[in-house]
Amino acid sequence: MQITFLLNGETRVVTVNDPTQSVLDWLRGEGLTGTKEGCNEGDCGACSVIVTDETGAKPLNACLMMLPHLHGRALRTVEGIAGPQGALHPVQEAMIAHHGSQCGFCTPGFIASMAAAHLNGRKDHDDLLAGNLCRCTGYAPIIRAAKAAEEAPVPDWMRDTPLQMPEISSGVRGQTAPTFLPQSADDLAEWYLAHPEATLIAGATDVGLWVTKQLRELGEVAFLGQCRDLQRIEETADGFAIGAGVTIAALRAAMATPHPAFAELLRRFASEQVRQAATIGGNIANGSPIGDGAPALIAMGGRLTLRKGAARRTIPLEAFFLEYGKQDRAPGEFVESVTLPKSAPALTCYKLSKRFDQDISAVCGALSIPREEGRIRAPRLAFGGMAGIPKRAAALEAALDGQPFTEAAITAALPALEDDFTPLSDMRASARYRMEAAKAMLIRYLREAEGAQSILEVQP
Amino acid sequence: MSEAFKMDEAQPRLLDETGQGLIGEPLDRPEGRLKVTGQARYSAEYAPERMVHGVLVRATITRGRVTGFDDSAAQALPGYLGLFHGPRFIRNPAQGMADEAPCQPGESIDYHGQPVALVVAESFETARDAAARIVVHYDEAPGAPVAPDTGEIEENEKRKSVQGDLEAAMAGAAAVVDAEYTTAGHAAAAMEPHAAIAEWRDGRLLMHGSLQMIRFNKNELADALGVSPEAVRILAPYVGGGFGSKLGISSEHVSAALAARALERPVRVVMSRQTVFDAVLRRTETWQRLRLGADKDGRLTAIGHEDRVSNLEGEGFAEPVSAATRFLYSAPNRLIRQHISRNHRTPSGSVRAPGEAVGMFALETAMDELAEKLGLDPVELRLRNIPERHPVTGQAYTARALAESLREGAKRFGWDQRPETGSRREGEWLIGMGMAGAGRSNMLVPSAARVTLSRDGALVETDMTDIGTGSYAILGQIAGEMLGLPIDKVAVHLADSDLPGASGSGGSFGASSSGSSVFLAARKIREILAQRLGCKPEELKVSGGEVSGGGTRAKLADLLPEPISAEAKIEKGKTAESHFSAGFGAHFVEVAVSEVSGEIRVRRMLGVFGIGRVLNEKTARSQAVGGMVWGVGSALHEELGHDPRTGHIVTRDLANYHIPAHADIPRDMEVVFLPERDDQANPIQSKGIGELGISGSGAAVINAVHNATGLRLRHFPATPDKVLAGWADGR
Repeated sequence: MQITFLLNGETRVVTVNDPTQSVLDWLRGEGLTGTKEGCNEGDCGACSVIVTDETGAKPLNACLMMLPHLHGRALRTVEGIAGPQGALHPVQEAMIAHHGSQCGFCTPGFIASMAAAHLNGRKDHDDLLAGNLCRCTGYAPIIRAAKAAEEAPVPDWMRDTPLQMPEISSGVRGQTAPTFLPQSADDLAEWYLAHPEATLIAGATDVGLWVTKQLRELGEVAFLGQCRDLQRIEETADGFAIGAGVTIAALRAAMATPHPAFAELLRRFASEQVRQAATIGGNIANGSPIGDGAPALIAMGGRLTLRKGAARRTIPLEAFFLEYGKQDRAPGEFVESVTLPKSAPALTCYKLSKRFDQDISAVCGALSIPREEGRIRAPRLAFGGMAGIPKRAAALEAALDGQPFTEAAITAALPALEDDFTPLSDMRASARYRMEAAKAMLIRYLREAEGAQSILEVQP
Repeated sequence: MSEAFKMDEAQPRLLDETGQGLIGEPLDRPEGRLKVTGQARYSAEYAPERMVHGVLVRATITRGRVTGFDDSAAQALPGYLGLFHGPRFIRNPAQGMADEAPCQPGESIDYHGQPVALVVAESFETARDAAARIVVHYDEAPGAPVAPDTGEIEENEKRKSVQGDLEAAMAGAAAVVDAEYTTAGHAAAAMEPHAAIAEWRDGRLLMHGSLQMIRFNKNELADALGVSPEAVRILAPYVGGGFGSKLGISSEHVSAALAARALERPVRVVMSRQTVFDAVLRRTETWQRLRLGADKDGRLTAIGHEDRVSNLEGEGFAEPVSAATRFLYSAPNRLIRQHISRNHRTPSGSVRAPGEAVGMFALETAMDELAEKLGLDPVELRLRNIPERHPVTGQAYTARALAESLREGAKRFGWDQRPETGSRREGEWLIGMGMAGAGRSNMLVPSAARVTLSRDGALVETDMTDIGTGSYAILGQIAGEMLGLPIDKVAVHLADSDLPGASGSGGSFGASSSGSSVFLAARKIREILAQRLGCKPEELKVSGGEVSGGGTRAKLADLLPEPISAEAKIEKGKTAESHFSAGFGAHFVEVAVSEVSGEIRVRRMLGVFGIGRVLNEKTARSQAVGGMVWGVGSALHEELGHDPRTGHIVTRDLANYHIPAHADIPRDMEVVFLPERDDQANPIQSKGIGELGISGSGAAVINAVHNATGLRLRHFPATPDKVLAGWADGR
């Protein structure tokens, strides 16, 4: 297949022989070695680049992007962040002056993340740079550089316009595997019914690792990035219908007002580069027991719509997760959307991990504990990291229902959590810690409801 | 070249007289522009004609022998070029400053993940695919010990040091601490994975290698390949971080060179991140027992530090865990011993501040505990135990800012506001302050450089590396300061083994050692200028293109009908016997600990250090901050985990080996350098700074956790589960 995109402002037409080749490998093969490989799995951010499509400019990990992702978009690498005559971008100037670059290997990735934030007028540097690791500087000089460049005007060359591309017609075949770029959910539904063994690729933040780390051959693949109708968030009479292709970054922005606790959790979902690529549909469909999306959605009473051909069915989200690695999804069926209520005022989410940023949860708890006249009414408690699937704590919910919202009553109910879960010990945490910490989340919830400070207010 | 200058006596402080205003200034690094634009080329980023790609095949058993390879499945791949192995392959990277090939094990396998062969193909993808198709036949020797307490344990007699009677002193002490500690293994985790491109030209090897110590690496590689050192040229102008992991040559260099010679084509070998974790020397895990005894006035009567580390049989390196314990505090009765567990984990080597980085967890948290038992302020306890002379060797100390750092740090940090243990709370967060002393020995390692002065400016040439530390900046500053040139008139060429051989980057000695050689070469040029002008060298002034002295004056250009080139080499001398030089300092930390989750958040840090003359305030500060951040990482989350069956590292990527990310590091992070000159260290009166920041900083974090919570955590990293377990167990 042939794809067309802008590379540092120049139109490039590239014949794709292997649809799963990473953008990072392709760039470095082209001699654009400014973009670095530090881990090849989205952990370090050294390969960050700026990609612009009609939703805007965003930093992405080139190691987790496959070439077909670029079709119709504009790609800007560190080589194109400096101006045509060698003029430095304000973030480049600031990184030199503030000594934000030492060994220099992580630097191009930081420059890309910082230039994307600068372009978008974003100043939440701590969050936006959490996906870039540095082993030399201790980060503060980099944050100072980002701040110093905030008010400088955006250089002209940084404003990319995505291409208006003709559709790549259905069934275009690459050399090593059939590659499909559906243009709509209908398109996808029809094709997937006929190709139920195919791999659906949205942001590739997980599927990318199947290729680069597990060396798997994916066979037939479909890239869902062109299905605009899957990327919508619709407000309905009862709530929100969120398309499976909505990125975590877009979801976080949309949830800030109606579901602030969920949005705040999403702030710590992986890193900005991953949030800009990963989709909520992918996060749910892959069924990980430690994904940070599902617990909150379950606690809110989220419902999942699955589609197979023209047929749709809607189930409570928790019913989708059957056991570790197994979901309630038929061949040819895909996650189309998830529906949330308009508000969930009693929801609070807690993520516990060894490292604060960019770490996999040891325990992720989403607690919705509504009260009426001082008594708990119909609580919904869901946890990640406590079982082989994201799961509700049914026994604890039952033990709490109708009880007074007091420390004594909650403490008395907590042993029921041991009927709900038998967590594992692994490198992230011991079983004992997981159980104790999950219980402690309810105490934290109570204290916060009484006005205590939340963890996220204790910034370093 | 003339004979090396030996540091036999203190030298005049010439850099205080030259008056050019370059030394110590926070100048930008000159290669910054190349780095922020992606133009700085690292070792993997050359593309010589006809280059092909190699991927290492690694052992899937822990101990035994390779009995054969079957590459028939790989041969089916178009572009497959061959499988390379044999007696020249190395088992693991050379230890720092080995200067000779590391173990070449033949068919022997000694750890899981050991590189055993190299697959080469036209493309990287084909090579990777082919490597997965190679069948390796083994004769496995099962039951290899892979845990430190199951291996054969031997005493390291070199480390044994006994003075007085520790047991008797402990028995008679007014207060004692006797506790066991463990630290997890650590990975350097430099951001640039290990890489090599090897190319043979007319029988000479050109190696682009990500390496820290070119002078040694040349000899190591020549020895491994069985060629003369003159047949090896190594280039490493940009190295994406080292931290000890690139001190010695490694499998990618040797295998690439061997395959390139056989194929008569350039070969590139880049380790995947997972291979870097598996097959590069790690920092050993440690077990430590620390004993302290003191009289009622808080004067130490006994210090005992015993430890056990791991390494493979035959590896000469053993983490010097008790390094700082030897020289930081006085006590008449002392016992230092070390045992080495010979087991089959990935072998261990130097990672930033080998010794102090882990040993000071035990020493400095035990000091905190002793202070509590004595009812003394921890700062005061340390002040009362500063020795007059080195407690083990009897040497005089050179400039030592320990007392001043402790006092200055306490004042700046607001130490007098330290809460009673467990008494300060903000919501669910318990707040505490902690401190620790800092010490890291300072060395002078043979180093040479050439400086050439012409009408266009000066050129500095040496095989010294810049691994992110700032060598390009400081060497230019020294030459510019000495020769009266603005910084943009000084060019610095580094990391080419054809240039004069330097100390390399390691052990915090690079800046001072290579800086001294540049200083001495420039001093020779000054002597020639003085001669040409007709004045005494000590009267010479050079600035703004003018040379003056002894009442005469001339244009610099007029004294340079042709360029002057001078080479100089420095090595340690008598001052290294009469005196003990080290960087000293103090760390202060404030933490918040959640009583709900056990999470520990570092809220602010202060480091006060005496490092002799500061050569560049900006690069020096970065080194200090970087070290302190490493202290936070090792205190709270960095941990190599091993499979209990095979020993192989399971936390082998940057998602599971947790180097600190942004939010783990406080915004309020202050570094203060006390004015100091170390006259006996070297002729530029400077000391190392790359490792002092990590020495003690983790212990200060842990001491702050104690002040916040009352918990004594002794097993590091202190992850949240250990905090909750500590409370639950009522410790």
